[in-house]
Amino acid sequence: MIYLNNAASSWPKAPGVADAVRQSLERPPCDVGRGGVVEGDPVNKCRELMGHLLGVADASRIVFTLNATAALNLAIQGAPLRSGDVIVTSVAEHNSVLRPAEKLRLERGIEVEIVGLAPDGSLDEDWFRRALARRPRLVVLTHASNVTGRVFPIERLFRGAKNAGALTVLDASQSLGLIPVSPEPMNADIVVFTGHKGLLGPSGVGGLYVGPAIDLEQILVGGTGVRSDLKEHPREMPGRLEAGTHNLAGLAGLAAAVEWLKSDGHHIATVARRRGDSLRRELARIPGVEIFDQDGDCERVGVVSFRISGWDVGEAGTVLNQSFEIACRAGLHCAPLIHPRIGSSPAGTLRFSASGFTTENEVGAASDAVRRLAKCAS
Amino acid sequence: MRLLETTRLEDCFDGGFVLRYRTDQPWTPDAIRSLAQLGELDYFLDFPRPYYRVRGRGGFQIRGLEGEPVCTVIFPGNGRDQLRQRWEEFILRDLG
Repeated sequence: MIYLNNAASSWPKAPGVADAVRQSLERPPCDVGRGGVVEGDPVNKCRELMGHLLGVADASRIVFTLNATAALNLAIQGAPLRSGDVIVTSVAEHNSVLRPAEKLRLERGIEVEIVGLAPDGSLDEDWFRRALARRPRLVVLTHASNVTGRVFPIERLFRGAKNAGALTVLDASQSLGLIPVSPEPMNADIVVFTGHKGLLGPSGVGGLYVGPAIDLEQILVGGTGVRSDLKEHPREMPGRLEAGTHNLAGLAGLAAAVEWLKSDGHHIATVARRRGDSLRRELARIPGVEIFDQDGDCERVGVVSFRISGWDVGEAGTVLNQSFEIACRAGLHCAPLIHPRIGSSPAGTLRFSASGFTTENEVGAASDAVRRLAKCAS
Repeated sequence: MRLLETTRLEDCFDGGFVLRYRTDQPWTPDAIRSLAQLGELDYFLDFPRPYYRVRGRGGFQIRGLEGEPVCTVIFPGNGRDQLRQRWEEFILRDLG
């Protein structure tokens, strides 16, 4: 099988991840925070590693969740918002941003402004500036589109948002591990991440960095193993935003992945982007293939969205997956609002997404498969 | 051929709906060719795993891989009950 579905979940994982998960499960569980710090505690080890990766001084501001969706819900629903406040976000966002924002609109009277794209596929910065003039309390943007792979100029966009007085939330689900992400230089108050994409770790682990002055409302409360005498959930970070037992095996795996990325895997991000560029270039040469967001000059992660003339998008995805054994994704990719802007409504796109383990031979084989489909289109 | 299981998949954007049919036998080349009675058959024999598609009269589509005991049928929003009945009767009657 050729695996080109890394934007959904990366595979293969970083060397050492599977061993770390297995070893974690084979050992007696480490009772993190329950009765003191335990040597080899995977939670705090992973917290330190994530803090280092993000370039933050205080790792206690790293909060672990089950995935980026949970982290985005915590950031958006936990933000200090009142009825009439404005959230600004974009059409490039995943439903993990759009749906919590819509929930706040319906239930708490929060206004949501969704900024569109410019004709070249970039974020419409004139629209964004007009949105900032409404003095939003919260601005949530993805670092890279999971549909087009385009990387957005977050440092500049968030500088404007901060100047407008907004709390800034960066969804780094598609970028962390593939391009540098650091909250302070990017003007991000909160950075949301997931373990199972560019970080090459297991699924079931994600989280967020919460800046030092940010006080998010607790969405989930319960056991923490500390201050069990209190009626209320403890207020100290990171436990303030973490309730219940952690995914210890998952965090052990994520720690192994981040350690590998730091030591042996530093080249992997460059390879992933290069393979994405190769895919884009090869697919663009095939008659009958339409690539969405064709701007060749912008920075991207290794994602390319396309369709094949004469083929229903879903059907082509099924054929590529099942007949050609090329793992890819077809449809809206949980980002429904970008499709009318890039011309791929209503069916969405076929999406290939490379990783640093994708080879040029695999790029060639995947392109050949698309060429064969395009040739026999009806 | 007997139907063992029918599973409803995600709805289509245009109001249609999709069912996956599991049968007691795999779809052989002969069985696939017999689907031409229902509409226009496209049979991609040179794909690594041969793939077939039937654009059925009335607007439904049958899709699947040769050798697999499953196929997917997409019914349009209009007249889907009749089309579904016709399709299921065809399996029992003509392929039974």
